[in-house]
Amino acid sequence: MGVEHVNSILVADLGSVHTRLALIDLVEGQYRLIASARSRTTAEPPLGRASLGLDRAAQRMSELIGRRIVDEHGDGLFLMPESEGHGVDAFLATGSAGRPMRVFLVGLTPELSLASGARVLASSFITVTGMLCPDDLRPEEAQINALLTGEPDVILITGGTDDGADDILLALLRRVARALGLIRRGTMPVVLFAGNQALRAHVKALFSPYTTVFTARNVRPALDQEQFVPAQIELALVYDEFRTRSPGGFEAVGRSSQVGVVPTVQGTISTVRYLSALPAPGLGPLCVDVGSANSLLVAGVHGQPHYVVRTDLGVGHSFPAALQAVTPDRLRRWLPAEVGEDALWDYAYNKQLRPATIPATLDDLLIEQALARELVRSLVSSARPDWGQGTGELLPPFGPLIGAGAILTEAPHPGVAAMLLLDALQPVGLADLRLDPHNLIAALGVVAYLKPVATVQALEAGGLVELGTAFCPLGRVKDGRNAMSVEIRQPGEQIIRHMVHGGELWLAPVTPGTRVEVVVRLRRGLSIDGRRRIKRRLVAGAAGLIFDARGRPLALPRGAERARRLTAWLKAAMGGHLPEPAPVADDAELRPAPRDFAAPDPGARLAALAESPTWDEEGEDALLP
Amino acid sequence: MPYYPETSVIKGLARVTRERRLPPGVVHRRTATGPGAQVSAVTVVLQGDALREYHILDVARALRLRKAGPEQVADLITVAPDQRVRLGQELAARGRGKRAQTLLSPVDGEVVSVDDGQIIVQASERTVEVPAKIPGEVESVENDIVRISGVGAVMQCAWGNGRFFFGAYQFLPEEGFAALRTLDPTISPYRAKMIISPLPIERADLLLAQRQEAAGVVAPSMSASLREFVMGLTFPVILTEGFGRRQPTTLIYRLLHSNMGRQATFDAATPDHWRWERPEIMLPLPAGGTFPETPSVTRALAVGAGVRLTRAPWDGVLAEVVALPPTPQVIDNGLRTQCARVRLPNNREVLVPLANLELLG
Repeated sequence: MGVEHVNSILVADLGSVHTRLALIDLVEGQYRLIASARSRTTAEPPLGRASLGLDRAAQRMSELIGRRIVDEHGDGLFLMPESEGHGVDAFLATGSAGRPMRVFLVGLTPELSLASGARVLASSFITVTGMLCPDDLRPEEAQINALLTGEPDVILITGGTDDGADDILLALLRRVARALGLIRRGTMPVVLFAGNQALRAHVKALFSPYTTVFTARNVRPALDQEQFVPAQIELALVYDEFRTRSPGGFEAVGRSSQVGVVPTVQGTISTVRYLSALPAPGLGPLCVDVGSANSLLVAGVHGQPHYVVRTDLGVGHSFPAALQAVTPDRLRRWLPAEVGEDALWDYAYNKQLRPATIPATLDDLLIEQALARELVRSLVSSARPDWGQGTGELLPPFGPLIGAGAILTEAPHPGVAAMLLLDALQPVGLADLRLDPHNLIAALGVVAYLKPVATVQALEAGGLVELGTAFCPLGRVKDGRNAMSVEIRQPGEQIIRHMVHGGELWLAPVTPGTRVEVVVRLRRGLSIDGRRRIKRRLVAGAAGLIFDARGRPLALPRGAERARRLTAWLKAAMGGHLPEPAPVADDAELRPAPRDFAAPDPGARLAALAESPTWDEEGEDALLP
Repeated sequence: MPYYPETSVIKGLARVTRERRLPPGVVHRRTATGPGAQVSAVTVVLQGDALREYHILDVARALRLRKAGPEQVADLITVAPDQRVRLGQELAARGRGKRAQTLLSPVDGEVVSVDDGQIIVQASERTVEVPAKIPGEVESVENDIVRISGVGAVMQCAWGNGRFFFGAYQFLPEEGFAALRTLDPTISPYRAKMIISPLPIERADLLLAQRQEAAGVVAPSMSASLREFVMGLTFPVILTEGFGRRQPTTLIYRLLHSNMGRQATFDAATPDHWRWERPEIMLPLPAGGTFPETPSVTRALAVGAGVRLTRAPWDGVLAEVVALPPTPQVIDNGLRTQCARVRLPNNREVLVPLANLELLG
């Protein structure tokens, strides 16, 4: 089917915990998000079949919209093309589930080609196992061991400007080829070459006897020029092949998708590139996605996407590594109650054992939200040098600020999601806060590969949840002192007047979608865009309007004050109501004392459900009841 | 719309099929069984080599032939590619008697290349042997994957330290590990047996078990801070629930109690989301002429199902699903999520997120 005839596009994202589906279709001449559905990812053992979760999500979507999507009789996963209101015209897939791809990087110089190679790799879920360049002073034996003992899946070779000197790079590549020739058993890495184009034929001749060779345009065709996109697209193909070879049954999904399984982060980068082109105040969009195994941050700086992907930071599979990275002390700054370090580690490892579970108590929820805040702060710290913007700890003026990942998008209240973004990013001035609960950012990014107009129109149609505008003045004000005098006029309603005190977070109770006029007067020492009086016409978001008088940089309270203040912030973010836990029954009622295992089971009915027989120790063959 | 929760197999009698594979980083050497073969829990079914670093050996330099080229030293090399060599084994030699010069292998390993006057040897850390871990029949052998089927009681657990034991077990007395302090290890009833502790364990308990020469320990939980210590122990440690002070899943301990005196396999596999092994205990049992069913891991949740609750405040509690509300519900902490209404053993009914339920397979 020609791309011009594609109207309905089904996009799947295979995450570590959830498989999400989004259906983009043409409605009255405009592409928009029609429906989304999700199911548990089933790539991990014992199921080991990613297509099963995809099928379940599709069945769910079919029930929601009354349209058959699944191909129940044919060879494919989905009914394609669309016919008589059923099926879809195209299917695309992104993925972040599974072990990250291990990559060994080879280049000419650490400052140029290796740095460019590392930037290409940042667009995927990668673990770098090592690097090699001609300046490497290690003996050949150590170099070979560095390359092979890390068991890379891919060797990325960069280096040399197009038609520049090639002797040194060729000598290095011969050494790499010799190393590959030593692999007798085990997995042979594939080679991706994105260096001096004059060497393409040499590279193919050197490595083809051993492995598959992918080539892309030079990441650094000239000393003062970098081009990442061709190498990133080729890397996506390599990733698709890697996923196909990996356990988890991704092959069937990749076969059905018109672009294979693209790394989720590449979809996000692609969408941020589009969003950056839209007229909006500030530098450009900033998107953070906190997942179970991976986390990423993509920011558009003057039209160019900059990104950080961390395959060791997440709130599920990667909880222990994330806690190690952010440290328990930093995490505890966000907890109202005292939680011991050992308890945090216990929590981390239990969450890793069962990453799909969700916190059922407020204490547990606060631990995960605390980690999410610190993970985002860590991503911002990693990304900041690349932006070349802003000073100190303050966030440059990005907008909109978009949060993705269940820990952010499925907070108990939109106000809590807004607070988490404010705490983690600490924007200054007016911040446009949004959520991506349907994983649309990554989905639309791959849609752009097929039909760019669909991406643009679906983004304009507003598939994101607008949390609202947050007023975040720069400067400090003493706690409890008057900080922001707020006046909100809304049609047909009384004027809302409120004084926000220093150290307070206030969510104005305005119905989402209401057009309002807001006037904010700031106390001396505070400013927004250098001014102390701001007047704006705005539309209230899902969290209403947000006024953050906690100062920038945000100073977190200590000691007893911490519990009081964090609880007050949470209460404000929840719209003034804190959740009240139901009393938990006495443990003795629920479980027998350990010594009672031989006694009759008070929950015998439950045991019977699991069919547990007791055995006649004397008999050879006991009969089942 | 159906919901498919995680499934943990805790079953009094089931037919189980398990795949045995070599651990990551280990290359296949030999498959030591075939389809239809009867295997015991300790029968080795797969062998592999954990290969390590490469050693590049310059023959001319080792034999003090500074001016000799590759062709001249080729005749002095006494090994060939793919040949396994032992530490100290001769790889190349020149001359005889007192003036002889020899190049000896610096490691146990395998010659991977003899070229250009160089011998490259890849060190072999150790030979890895994978046992069947359950007694039964080999169903199939495919590349380096061996599928074995057996019958017995199965209890999937939460965590293990990577060790394995097949043998008898003994419950701790009421006083717990403290009662072991005064026992003489040579006549201790816990010697060479797995100790089953229904209470969370601590470092001192594990040291006592070690002193008693126990075969291993099964317990509901321990502090995560002990992970490194436990990984270093030579006997298996299996946690049925996880980390911290967690309550035991009653059913597991009842099954073990009701089968006291039998031998069991204790596979303390360290869980990895992308590997097939899960820590588990299996009690081989006679089928009694019946053909027990294989536990299903693809069942949808339904009213009446027996489930285990996996998160606080009811972690480890067994419950029964009494209703599946079609719309998301607000739970205690304010989260709005799909839930099941379950009946706890005290007959109280509570809402539990679907994500926090495990079906008992």
